[in-house]
Amino acid sequence: MSDVRVRPMTELDIEGICRIDERITGKYRPEVWEQRAAYYLRRDPDSSQVAEADGRVVGFMLGEVRGGEFGLEEPTGWVEFFGVDPSSREKGVGRRLIEALLGHFRSKGAHVARTMVAAQDKDIAAFIAAMGFAPAPLTALEKRL
Amino acid sequence: MKDEVRTLPKQYHDAIEHWQRHNFPDYPKLAEEWDRFFPKDQSFCLCAKIAEDIPSQIEVGDRKGEAKALAPRDLPDEAAQHLLMQIKAQASTEFGSIQQHQGTLARAQEPQDHAWALRVMAEELRHGYQMVHLLTSADWSPVTKTKAADMVEEILSMQTGSHVLAAFNLEYDSFLDNVVFAAFIDRVGKYQLTMQKISAYKPYASSMPPMLREEAFHLAAGVIPLRRWVEAAARGDGYITMQDIQKAIGKWFGRGLEMFGDERGGQTNVKYGLKDMANREAQDKYIDELQRMLDDLDERYVRARFPSAGRDESEKRFARIKAGETVDGIAPEDLLRLPDRRFFRRRGEYAYQMVGTHGESFSDVELYIAHVLANLPDAYRASIDVKHWADLQREVSRGEMPLKDAINSMPRLARMGGGCPCAKSVRWVQESAAS
Repeated sequence: MSDVRVRPMTELDIEGICRIDERITGKYRPEVWEQRAAYYLRRDPDSSQVAEADGRVVGFMLGEVRGGEFGLEEPTGWVEFFGVDPSSREKGVGRRLIEALLGHFRSKGAHVARTMVAAQDKDIAAFIAAMGFAPAPLTALEKRL
Repeated sequence: MKDEVRTLPKQYHDAIEHWQRHNFPDYPKLAEEWDRFFPKDQSFCLCAKIAEDIPSQIEVGDRKGEAKALAPRDLPDEAAQHLLMQIKAQASTEFGSIQQHQGTLARAQEPQDHAWALRVMAEELRHGYQMVHLLTSADWSPVTKTKAADMVEEILSMQTGSHVLAAFNLEYDSFLDNVVFAAFIDRVGKYQLTMQKISAYKPYASSMPPMLREEAFHLAAGVIPLRRWVEAAARGDGYITMQDIQKAIGKWFGRGLEMFGDERGGQTNVKYGLKDMANREAQDKYIDELQRMLDDLDERYVRARFPSAGRDESEKRFARIKAGETVDGIAPEDLLRLPDRRFFRRRGEYAYQMVGTHGESFSDVELYIAHVLANLPDAYRASIDVKHWADLQREVSRGEMPLKDAINSMPRLARMGGGCPCAKSVRWVQESAAS
């Protein structure tokens, strides 16, 4: 893999993101990623990041700064969706993406970044921990309806 | 990194709202649709937004490193003239695109597409407002004898057919044009704003980042509906065919290229630090980006034609078709493609050269006109614009008209004052406000 370039996501990255999602989940969900990309592009197009190598998207990380979620008034950088192409893992792509995203969060006045990880996603939990995230004094609760 | 928000003096603010009532009557619907389609987004603001983190030194050109101009008089005369032309042209595009979108907005088939186009229009109105702010918040007297109020009046009087750039003088034929315009022409807008972000005139540079952020969604509002339409076309259950989209591309691509200016020009803007790329360089990047967009759309089309084939197999098929093969009934001409950059050109280096969509040369003008017509949408073929072009093409090809005259000719180009149907222009609003 040649040099990786990390840059803000554009509308032309949607298919690349679909490709990575499909390689990870086995599902082709273009409508889902179109809606998500449109959401982030219209709210803060400089925030969400993609990693590109040889002209192809090999990783993405979507998120934004919001305040007022769950009664947390301080501006918070939310890391919400991310994925790295399986063939591009263990090459620092995830680290590069999260560094770019956190840098943007800081420039928007956020002093804290938050995310949630499913308990069974051990790899993601390990990656997030390696990036300096620690358990928060908040508990995720749910009730099946 | 927060933008400063500014409002125009009352007479100009009122003039833009007055213009909106006549040219963008659907604007109030945006507030009705906002919560459904843009929940949690900051509400729309008709205001000027000024980015605060803009470099104070000139970034390119002969005066690189010197302080950026804070007023027009701080610029060399020729640079100030170029700058004023840029701002007026930019303003014309913003208001012009709203007039174009409005004509076919209501024909959107999907409520989301309608809401997205509506938001795009409102943000173009804000961009026009931003340009009026630039014209009315500085002393332009060292550059022009025209007063700010008259410059604003001229811009607000323009109609489809009297705008500065040809792309804004074409009527939309259907909602397909709203979408293709957003994908192709707003993309030129993105390039212009990006180039102008380094402007040696700091108030202009400071206006670019907020506009660029909004422009990112405008491009999505073009590309995402196109993505869905090509998939529906592949399944055979859509209302818009690949040929429809291809012909719309034929209508807009050349006009988009011409918005960059003549391929051989643009160095003066770089020299004065007003833009960071000359015209051809920017145009080349634009073409590369469009090619990438069409590749994505075509891949999605091929994938949808054979949904059980899987990603890897689908990508292989697309690569073979793109290379010229017909694969499982899909021929290269079934996919979307960019016409040759010299096709159907009316300005610039290739103006009125008879070059076809695949780069083939024509020597018979009637054959060329037939070729162009075959590659344009039916409704557009019936327009005065196409007839005007065909007449000029014949005259240029037969040596009956100098190329320069043809390049400068547009149908209904005469600029008319009092374009407002109720004849209440900027001055009227001013007098009313004063009384």
